[in-house]
Amino acid sequence: MDSAHLFNGTGEHAVAITRIAERQWHALEDDQVVGRGEVSHRPDGRLFLSIDAWHDVVFDRLADTMLADLPRPLYTVVDEADLDLMLQWERAGFAPRRREWEYVMPTDPRITGLGSAPPPRGVTTLAVGEAEEGPLRALDRVIRDEIEATVGWQEMPAEVLSGPDGPPRPDPAKYAVAAWSDQYVGLVRVAPLARQPRIGLIAVRSDQRRRGIARALLAEVLGSAHRRGIATASADVNQSNGAAIALFEGVGARRTGSNLELVLR
Amino acid sequence: MVKANGGIQLEGTVLECLRNATFRVELQNGHKVLAHISGKIRKNYIKILPFDRVLVEISPYDLDRGRILFRYRN
Repeated sequence: MDSAHLFNGTGEHAVAITRIAERQWHALEDDQVVGRGEVSHRPDGRLFLSIDAWHDVVFDRLADTMLADLPRPLYTVVDEADLDLMLQWERAGFAPRRREWEYVMPTDPRITGLGSAPPPRGVTTLAVGEAEEGPLRALDRVIRDEIEATVGWQEMPAEVLSGPDGPPRPDPAKYAVAAWSDQYVGLVRVAPLARQPRIGLIAVRSDQRRRGIARALLAEVLGSAHRRGIATASADVNQSNGAAIALFEGVGARRTGSNLELVLR
Repeated sequence: MVKANGGIQLEGTVLECLRNATFRVELQNGHKVLAHISGKIRKNYIKILPFDRVLVEISPYDLDRGRILFRYRN
């Protein structure tokens, strides 16, 4: 157990830090929890931290205790607009590793310009829920291999990362696909949130790129959302992913925020 | 209302997303608080939007401040 002293305007109070479970720490003032720390494994094995505290001194003491107990490297995610939290993690020694832009895009084809864009010749798009699982898994494997050989999956969204048992099986209920000849050549993963669907991944086989397939996939899922009365969709895009940024900004997506992944090596 | 050992937890509805990563939330009792999101929500990239129903932990030091612990499925 570690202890700190918290000044709250009425005097000095001792705050004790306790590891209550393998992955959880509490900051206690008297018998009240005034701060919490947690560590969790991403499917790719990386350790991500979170700390919630009402005061800087409690945050710092939780961080000190947790960092003393944990191996490196350690990661966390912060909203870049949350300057107080950024400063707290920087004091603990964390530094930015990468940034993801948050985009919100319209679904109305009159605004996106996707209404009049037919799919490339010979390509058909299958709506979310219509893909066959076998060909979808085959495409998922091809795309994972290609990404692993280039940018690496650490740059991809957490929900599609491979775990110790391999990559998650793609659920046809969350994917729209593009088909060409007798195979699937592109996919888009959609989290079916009721008021604002989230595009979690959009990818096309490397030998089929620059044909407008990603744009056709986007037309499929945004058009579908528009027909259901949903006005906007969202996506998080790595700032180094120029192709995805151009794709989304080309349909009128606007940046609404950014998240930073921080690392302590 | 839930009285956990971390403080009072109340359900509320998000009224507005503010610029500095905070949200204005109206609690079930009509009280309005400024709330940040918890680290667990942030780590899991859960988006908070206006009209979302959320569980808020109220700060024991300032009853006008809170932390969003959970977003309910609407």
